[in-house]
Amino acid sequence: MKTLISTALAAVICATAAPAETFRWAGITDPQTMDPHAVNSAPVTSFLNNVYEGLVRRGKDMSIEPALAESWEPIGDGEGWRFHLRHGVTFHDGSAFDASDVIFSYNRASNEVSDVKGWFAPVAQVNMVDDFTVDILTKAPNPIFPDSIANWMIMDAGWAAKVGAELPDKENGNAATQSANGTGAFILSDRQPGLQTTLLPFAGWWDEANHNITKATFTPIKNSATAVAALLSGDIDLINPVPIQDAARLASNDEIKVVQGIEARVIMFGFGHAADTLKYTDDAGKPNPFQDVRVRQAVAHAINVPAILQTIMRGNAEPASQLVSPAMRGFSSTNAARPAYDVAAAKALLVDAGYGDGFSFGLKCPNDRYLNDESVCQAAVSMLAQIGITAELDAMPVRTYWPELREDNFDMYLLGWSPGTFDHEHPVRFLASTPNAEKKLGSWNFGGYSNARIDELLPMIQSEIDDVKRQAMLDEVTHLYQSEHAYVPMYVQPLVWGTRSNIELTQRPDNFLILRWITMN
Amino acid sequence: MLSYIIRRIFQSILVLLVVGLVAFSMFRFVGDPIENMMGQERTQADIVRLRAQLGLDQPFPVQYWKFLKGAAQGNFGVSYRQGRPVGQIIAERAPATLELAAVSGFFAIIAGIGLGIFTAIRQKGWASHFIMTASLIGVSLPTFLIGILLIYLFSVELDLLPSFGRGDVVKIGFWSTGFLTASGLKALILPSITLGLYQMTLIMRLVRAEMQEVLRQDYINFARARGLSERVVNFRHALKNTLVPVITVIGLQLGSIIAFAIITETVFQWPGVGLLFINAIQFVDIPVMAAYLMLISVMFVGINLLVDLLYAAIDPRLRSESAT
Amino acid sequence: MTTAKIKRPFAPRLRAFWASDLAWSFRHSPVAFASFIFVCLLTFCAIFAPLIAPHDPFNPATLNLMNGFTAPGTPNAFTGESFVLGTDDQGRDVFSTILYGMRISLFVGFAAVMLGMVLGITAGLVAGYRGGWTETIIMRIADVQLTFPAILVAMLIFGITKSFTPVEYRDQMAIWVLILAIGLSDWVQFARVVRGATLVEKNKEYVQAAQLVGRSGLAIMVRHILPNVLSPVLVIATISLALAIIAEATLSFLGVGAPPTQPSLGTLIRIGQGFLFSGEWWILFFPACTLLALALSVNLLGDWLRDALNPRLR
Repeated sequence: MKTLISTALAAVICATAAPAETFRWAGITDPQTMDPHAVNSAPVTSFLNNVYEGLVRRGKDMSIEPALAESWEPIGDGEGWRFHLRHGVTFHDGSAFDASDVIFSYNRASNEVSDVKGWFAPVAQVNMVDDFTVDILTKAPNPIFPDSIANWMIMDAGWAAKVGAELPDKENGNAATQSANGTGAFILSDRQPGLQTTLLPFAGWWDEANHNITKATFTPIKNSATAVAALLSGDIDLINPVPIQDAARLASNDEIKVVQGIEARVIMFGFGHAADTLKYTDDAGKPNPFQDVRVRQAVAHAINVPAILQTIMRGNAEPASQLVSPAMRGFSSTNAARPAYDVAAAKALLVDAGYGDGFSFGLKCPNDRYLNDESVCQAAVSMLAQIGITAELDAMPVRTYWPELREDNFDMYLLGWSPGTFDHEHPVRFLASTPNAEKKLGSWNFGGYSNARIDELLPMIQSEIDDVKRQAMLDEVTHLYQSEHAYVPMYVQPLVWGTRSNIELTQRPDNFLILRWITMN
Repeated sequence: MLSYIIRRIFQSILVLLVVGLVAFSMFRFVGDPIENMMGQERTQADIVRLRAQLGLDQPFPVQYWKFLKGAAQGNFGVSYRQGRPVGQIIAERAPATLELAAVSGFFAIIAGIGLGIFTAIRQKGWASHFIMTASLIGVSLPTFLIGILLIYLFSVELDLLPSFGRGDVVKIGFWSTGFLTASGLKALILPSITLGLYQMTLIMRLVRAEMQEVLRQDYINFARARGLSERVVNFRHALKNTLVPVITVIGLQLGSIIAFAIITETVFQWPGVGLLFINAIQFVDIPVMAAYLMLISVMFVGINLLVDLLYAAIDPRLRSESAT
Repeated sequence: MTTAKIKRPFAPRLRAFWASDLAWSFRHSPVAFASFIFVCLLTFCAIFAPLIAPHDPFNPATLNLMNGFTAPGTPNAFTGESFVLGTDDQGRDVFSTILYGMRISLFVGFAAVMLGMVLGITAGLVAGYRGGWTETIIMRIADVQLTFPAILVAMLIFGITKSFTPVEYRDQMAIWVLILAIGLSDWVQFARVVRGATLVEKNKEYVQAAQLVGRSGLAIMVRHILPNVLSPVLVIATISLALAIIAEATLSFLGVGAPPTQPSLGTLIRIGQGFLFSGEWWILFFPACTLLALALSVNLLGDWLRDALNPRLR
């Protein structure tokens, strides 16, 4: 009994003696795994960027900078890329980093069971030239390859073999699901899935540490009101995201700072292009009006984006004209204008298309995926009602939303897209290409939009080294999908973080929380 | 009595089997687990492969049978979300929920019976009226709103109590307890009130109603006439006879405290099984959902068994009936 | 003309009712009287919402998003329009939305309690009176039912109905799913309490006497046992009505409530709680107060009704 009490007491003392520089942050979802190759989702990659590192990394302005590779150069005439690795880097367990770890991580990440294997689709072969030089050969010239592997995390080959985590295991999990051994600025010290994850700074990190964190804990908080309350009461130092409606009020609080930016994610409406008939409401079975470009254009004119930004987004978001935001590579500045809000023009277009009396259809919308997604859809319903077309809104959680879209159960739907490569080519490949399972094209093009010229241009864009020619082709693609109103891009989703006022940090547009840029005063 | 218990246990096992069957037949309506297990660059081939690996391509009776075989050996499978054995996850989370349920159950029973007796004996007093009305305000708002308002008041405005979580916990063997630290005890206050409020009101009103009824009956008047003190009449005679329906309800309410903990745990980010279950629904984590439901059924079935046995013990007239 | 004709034969009965003990107790309980008036008033407002409400919040064509977040009584900065209780995030008039929402809440509440009560009383009576295997089966079904939290029942029914109803009816389905889900998770309470009371009642002399006279089981259950087990049922039914309305709000919080385009009181509160910290207090405050007032007066009324209807308490 005595020992029991003394252990208890010791635990109490340990627990209360938390150092002043403990940084506590909260988000909505817990990263579901600590394995950087098991799941390609933002919460996972964002979190693991603090623990693992890639050959290259993104700086504060999203530019590519050296990380585990000190430098790199193209091989020959677009045959691939040569990476010169950094010397003197050690993993958290003290073992040294060299080319064999890169080869191992390539094999692990490009394996059939990996969720990030898509990044290596352009890769033909990876060769180890010497202990600190690696050649990555591509099937076709690939100018943006180094940009596309910033989230490819390097894992220690020896450690993985020792703990039995040679391959990612999504279904049953393995040592790499619960623990980590990277080269990053922070060590994963304690992992309680769904509850709390603790990181400690890595003393042997190769780069100079500019943060003053002695311990960092992440807690997922599901209910946003609870998260805001935790920030206000000082139980948490940073929450991401801040519910957009609370931003102004929080900013006026002396103890709180609101850090805002523009995220990479574009929010848009999509249509059933391939469906010949409507699927919902009383008009189900009638010919699909959205196959007529004038109807799609009418929708584009009917959506009052400035009003959505003013009220629902509280002035925190920027309108979007195309599938990517201006911050992305390949943004088409010649096509930067978006359809104006014009009820009269929209009505005229409907009359022109033979739908002067309107029609009704089903609008699908997620209610837990994007910021205020349900509100935006609801607003769209009333805006469309004003031009005489009736949208029957069906809002649902994401767990049923994607299966519904995949089964073509929609007439019109809401979608947000954040290009993983920060390049315009990404949404063109996923959203604007004709769906083709074999070539892995258009896999998120639920409506089946198809344009032969875009399909023809995409491979040319992918292999074009010359930036000017590439941009010209992207401009053409943008013009094509814009003039056909394949999608109605509305706005770029804002990033809103709330912190205690003693926190200094850098917010990156990809919504990654990089701990090594945080100082606590 | 023994054969009665054996029969009840046999029935209970049947109940568990039916719960499992119903649960498995409905999982596919909750959503598709694959969606949350893969990133945005997945292909159709990946989806098909993962589905086959998880056995989701099989009809649900087959999935159910597999689950049963595992469960019989104490293996509830691996969480889709966490990649860890479900049994381990639930064992980690159970102490949080059980401690919360125990504290709020204790609060509900003590306050409920106490106030119920008080309001029954002092029917006409202003204090009774006040208690009756005030208790109603607590059950006239949804739990989640009460929770949020309590957080708003006590942690944001007054800064007295933590806004979320369990505070510091102490590990004693496999059990993690919040009872031994100041922050752990403070963290328990708001969630237990939120969770126990409704049960407290229900128990209080029931005790009052039953007690009032019993107090009017002849044998109580006889007892009074025999010159027994008010105290003995109230507590020895009246209270004892009040207990039959009250025990039923308390039994049921204890079970629903754990079931209702889902909402309180969500609002307070309380790291228990309820929160685990809500997250499992969100991510369609079938093994976790199945195990949670089985756990809750075992508990309810157990509580029901106990309530029935207590019935028999308290009211001898029922003994022969329940034994048939 | 017709109303007068109908009214006449009822007049003596009305007078008789007015003179009855129940009415006497009612007239002499100010709390009950006030609650009754209030519940009637709210029900009236809910039923005649389309006539009373200044706007139709369920008609999307009449909404202007720029009216969003207008504070109560002050004109909107962009449109200059003014609303008594302000507007929500969609520019809907909060006052009108509450009236329409209350309609849905009351309907769901009443229907769900009726469903739960009918199911529960029947099951409880039969189980308690018949005993044996009937009882075992009914009470074990109750065990299964208790295992499933209302949210899961709602999701189950939602999922199943979704796959069976034709697409064009899906949008009207949410309300019926709520009624079914709340009603189904409610019946066990009634059943267990009725069964418990029936077990006690059926051994009493009057029941045995009725059995000796040769009355049928059904007649005994309905005419003799039922009236005597109603006291605990009323306690539960009272709280259940208020609770069903609240349960609807909770389900909405968990994401399976009434659709936001046709919000119930609960959906309004769920939406409103998102604005608790942002300064738009009216989006939460007014619907929450309405719900509180409604549930509280139903509960108070039930309290009084229980005392008044119970002959042994008088």
